[in-house]
Amino acid sequence: MRPENYEARRQPPSHEYELNIGPNHPGIEGNYAFKLRLHGDEVIEGRADAGYLHRGFEKLMEGRLWIQNLAITPRICVPDPVPMEISYCLAVEDLCGLEVPERAKWLRVMQAELSRLAAHLFTFGGHAATTGMYTPMFWGIADRDLILDLFEELCGGRVYHIYNIPGGVRRDMPPGFIERVSNTLDYLESRLPDYDDLMFKNRVFVKRARGIGVISQKHALDWAVTGPNLRATGLAFDVRRDDPYLVYDQIDFDVVTEDAGDAWARALVRRKELFQSIRIIRQVLAKLPEIPGPIRCPIPNPLAWNVPAGSTYVRMESSKGELAWYVVSNGGEKPYRTHVRGPSQMHAVQVLEKLAVGCRIEDVAQIMFSLDACPPEVDR
Amino acid sequence: MSPMKEGESASYQKIKSMTTLKDVLAVATSFEASARDFYTGLIPKVSKNFRWLVEDLAREEQGHYDLFTSLAQRDDIEGAIQAEIERPVTDGKFADAVMIPDLGDNPDDQSVLQYAMGREHLAMTHYRALADSTAAGPIKELFEYLANEEAKHKEELEKLYYETVHSGGV
Amino acid sequence: MSAIDHDVSGKLPRGRHTHGDEPDMNAIDHKATGGILSPLKGLQFFGRKPVTQPLEPRPASANYRGFHLNDWQLCIGCSTCQKVCDNAAITMVEIPGLPEDAAKGVRNLRPAIDYGRCCWCALCVDLCPTGSISLSREYVHTCTDPEIDSYFVLPDANGIHGVAYDKGWAKSEQSDLVALQRTEMPEMAPEARIANFDEIVEGYDKNQGIIEASRCVQCGMCHDACPTHMNAPEYIRAIWQDDIEEAVRQIYRTNPFAHTCGRVCTHRCETACSVGHRGAPIAIRWLKRFAMDQLDHERVKEIAAEGKAAYPSGKRVAIIGAGPAGLTAAYDLAKQGHAVKVFEAMGAAGGMTRYGIPYYRLPADKLDQDVDVITSLGVEIQYDTRIGSDVTMERLRDDYDAVLVAVGLWMGRSTRVKGAEADGVYRAVELLRKVADGESIPVPKQAVIIGGGNVAMDIARTLARLQKQHYGQVAITLTALEDLDHFLADPDEIKEAREEGVEILDARGPQEVVLDSSGRATGLRTWKVLSIFDEQGRFAPKYDETDEIIHAGDMVVEAIGQAADVNLLGEALTEALEWNRGRLKVDEQLRTSADWLWAAGDMVRGPDVVSAVADGHRAAASINDHLSIREQAA
Repeated sequence: MRPENYEARRQPPSHEYELNIGPNHPGIEGNYAFKLRLHGDEVIEGRADAGYLHRGFEKLMEGRLWIQNLAITPRICVPDPVPMEISYCLAVEDLCGLEVPERAKWLRVMQAELSRLAAHLFTFGGHAATTGMYTPMFWGIADRDLILDLFEELCGGRVYHIYNIPGGVRRDMPPGFIERVSNTLDYLESRLPDYDDLMFKNRVFVKRARGIGVISQKHALDWAVTGPNLRATGLAFDVRRDDPYLVYDQIDFDVVTEDAGDAWARALVRRKELFQSIRIIRQVLAKLPEIPGPIRCPIPNPLAWNVPAGSTYVRMESSKGELAWYVVSNGGEKPYRTHVRGPSQMHAVQVLEKLAVGCRIEDVAQIMFSLDACPPEVDR
Repeated sequence: MSPMKEGESASYQKIKSMTTLKDVLAVATSFEASARDFYTGLIPKVSKNFRWLVEDLAREEQGHYDLFTSLAQRDDIEGAIQAEIERPVTDGKFADAVMIPDLGDNPDDQSVLQYAMGREHLAMTHYRALADSTAAGPIKELFEYLANEEAKHKEELEKLYYETVHSGGV
Repeated sequence: MSAIDHDVSGKLPRGRHTHGDEPDMNAIDHKATGGILSPLKGLQFFGRKPVTQPLEPRPASANYRGFHLNDWQLCIGCSTCQKVCDNAAITMVEIPGLPEDAAKGVRNLRPAIDYGRCCWCALCVDLCPTGSISLSREYVHTCTDPEIDSYFVLPDANGIHGVAYDKGWAKSEQSDLVALQRTEMPEMAPEARIANFDEIVEGYDKNQGIIEASRCVQCGMCHDACPTHMNAPEYIRAIWQDDIEEAVRQIYRTNPFAHTCGRVCTHRCETACSVGHRGAPIAIRWLKRFAMDQLDHERVKEIAAEGKAAYPSGKRVAIIGAGPAGLTAAYDLAKQGHAVKVFEAMGAAGGMTRYGIPYYRLPADKLDQDVDVITSLGVEIQYDTRIGSDVTMERLRDDYDAVLVAVGLWMGRSTRVKGAEADGVYRAVELLRKVADGESIPVPKQAVIIGGGNVAMDIARTLARLQKQHYGQVAITLTALEDLDHFLADPDEIKEAREEGVEILDARGPQEVVLDSSGRATGLRTWKVLSIFDEQGRFAPKYDETDEIIHAGDMVVEAIGQAADVNLLGEALTEALEWNRGRLKVDEQLRTSADWLWAAGDMVRGPDVVSAVADGHRAAASINDHLSIREQAA
């Protein structure tokens, strides 16, 4: 909510004009605005304008008990809520020195990857839609719904799962769950070639996406780009592999990269990660029956839970990039300060503002979706 | 008829010779009256803190007196008695073990209760004995009725005794 | 469409920099322009039969977090759901007509949910102490009411639409967040404690105290159930916050017999504790003791003196009996600035807590500390002074502005069965008083106790210790009219008495004390009691006379009941005062029918330490009002 965004520019050149995309616009992700200065169809300047969520998650969390914050964390990223929950729990567990049972760790990996699948399908479809192709979007949303069904079964909630708790997870899988996840994965995998046909083997998409919004590897590093956006510039960096958490060090998967650094490459990295996530979940499903409970270590009464004083920084690989919590406790029953490093903060503000310059107006939405920017992560 | 006193064996022996229900009932009623008078006379003699107990007992005896009086005035005494003795009261036997004290000049609350329980117990025993030694018929049924009534009175007193003496045992 | 390699257990090196291992994907090249026919793949679905989803509601998954269900039979209105709710979506609503019983820990409040705020996190379910709340498998809420406030719903077992859907997310062992396990209290083992009068319970250490305090859900049921309404939630929370001074401050707001109640209180708070519905209640009594033991005695005195009136009122109050009721009143009145003098017949203060409770339950030095706090406020205690004989009531009436009589139940009741007056038959309270006073009592080789209350346990365990010291073995038979289910003694007392070798025979009706030729007791004859109470819960014993036992014993102790000795009032005053079924008649404020006299504690209330403390406060408040009014009138 920067005041300068609301002041008319002094004496704009007569050939320039302003255009707002958002906060309510089909080409924008979430409650977020992007203000363009245009010369004809060409973008001269883009300005990110956040603040429409009116949430202030971090401040809210200072006023609530440690456990009450569980319900807030997933709301920071609606399409990919699980890593938010898990990483907050990891931070609290780290401060409290809680020993999370092995089974809970595997269950968390399963959730995180299911969530990544759902988030990638969402973005994937969104990206296609911004290039005028609605079929992948419909398919993506429909297929994502199958994953939400699984979440409903596991957690009792389709979108906001609130399934993790410091110390583990809140309850075990329902009977027969492994089989149903497995069936869904088989189906999703059979769908991947269809997506390829509609996107990467489609001349329209290739023409629209190739060479758009290019980020060089150097710029990516300078601008703190992470996740699939970074890997699309050819750098194989993945927190799951390079700073393993939970049980990722026991799982086989590939860190997918592309070299082009453009919208096309970013979409392709996500597409390939769909397969990697399926791979990971299959390993988890194979492993889970061997790992007995419990699913949670004993925790104090939530109404009388002082977390020992200290601070911690916990990071995870979410579908958007490196997601991290910096949590400070002064030994009290509420966090003294929490800070979430939402990866979209960088992607949706500094990166988008730079990439937009010089591109054509119809590509702005595509660039934003190709960056997979999630506005609540900006507006935390 | 020489004055008859409740609780004295001789008095009960005299009852035995009576032949009408009304006569027997009149004697039983007079016993209740004498008990009532006894407790009423005791009221001013006991300390005020448990005077309620003696007042209760006097009131209770008045109740018995009224009960028997109204029974005597009924035309269907036999029917009324029969209905009652079909619900025999079993003797709890709690009071048997408790001694009957000599009330003396300065009784305490417990001895008043002991005394009252003992008195009802004796009356019950005597009526029971009379019933046992009387040939079947209305008179026998009346004795059974009276024994039954006295057992009920005793039972009430046992409850009061338990609540006064045995409670507060923490 | 080419086949995709499903083999995910392949031994590919982890984290390999790759362009993907899906064969088909390798074909995608940045330089490839893509075809124009590929997108037509989508047409393959063109001829497919359309799917129509039915409009009927379908149940959601078995764990679904739908709308709230609340079993009103189980719900106790403790409002823990309201406390844990992230979004302040829950309001406790008073429902007239529902049961409300502070002693049992039941309120007539039920949670109402504002679905404009609820986030369906189900923490209310997981932290519900009773397990009454669950969430339904109901997907849809259609608001039929035009007003927006129809999102504010008071759920019962049928949920918000009055149609019973299955339970979705409900209480399970895995998801339960209530801390059901109590922190074990360290105690002396029976072998270690049986030959001495050392305190059995060791008390929590700091870590245990904080952990136990952390179990509390702050519902306040304990506060409501406590006769003196102790601020238990507040002091438990202060203990949890490691602020012992604050805990002691909260304790002294309502109870100057803090050490005493921390040890021997009848802890009705724990009966009412909401956590106790499915688990062990919070050890509230032990936490009070923990807080008191943690803090230096001198600091306790300073805290207790906080808020003491700066100037004396000039009024004088006499209190008869330095027991919990009398000294609590003295504490309050002294803090209010009145000059208080307590008359005590015995040589030390504490009343029945000192002379009735054995030292292994309440050590004398702890009671001394409680008394010291009270006397440090300026309360004067005149010992060895028996009202009635040493000083008359009339004298007190004339010399003081108000008089409070607060004597205990010092007279032990006798069964008065045959032989009950013989040598070798004793009343428990008399023996306990002598032991507490350091006098010697005859130690029987074999004792028979009559009674099933705490006093019976106290004397049984006291005699057991003396037997162990004298003869090296315990031989105690405890008989009671009541069956074990109707024992008045605490279950802990019964358990510990048994551990110490006391043989407990319940449901035995005493018939006679058996005597030898010289008239000394040699045992007790009892009958089996088949049942003791009638349907109304009133006494109506049934015996089995064939089951007769003679319990041998050279000592028979009666511990069946107690009474107050009211002779101290004198005949004239006894006659002048109003009575109510054997007890002094007092009004709500504990004032007797004489305007200068109040009565409090066991003599009007029955035996209980914490009720006596509550009485002391009430009497003191009334006396203070009375004295203030007199001041205004003058």
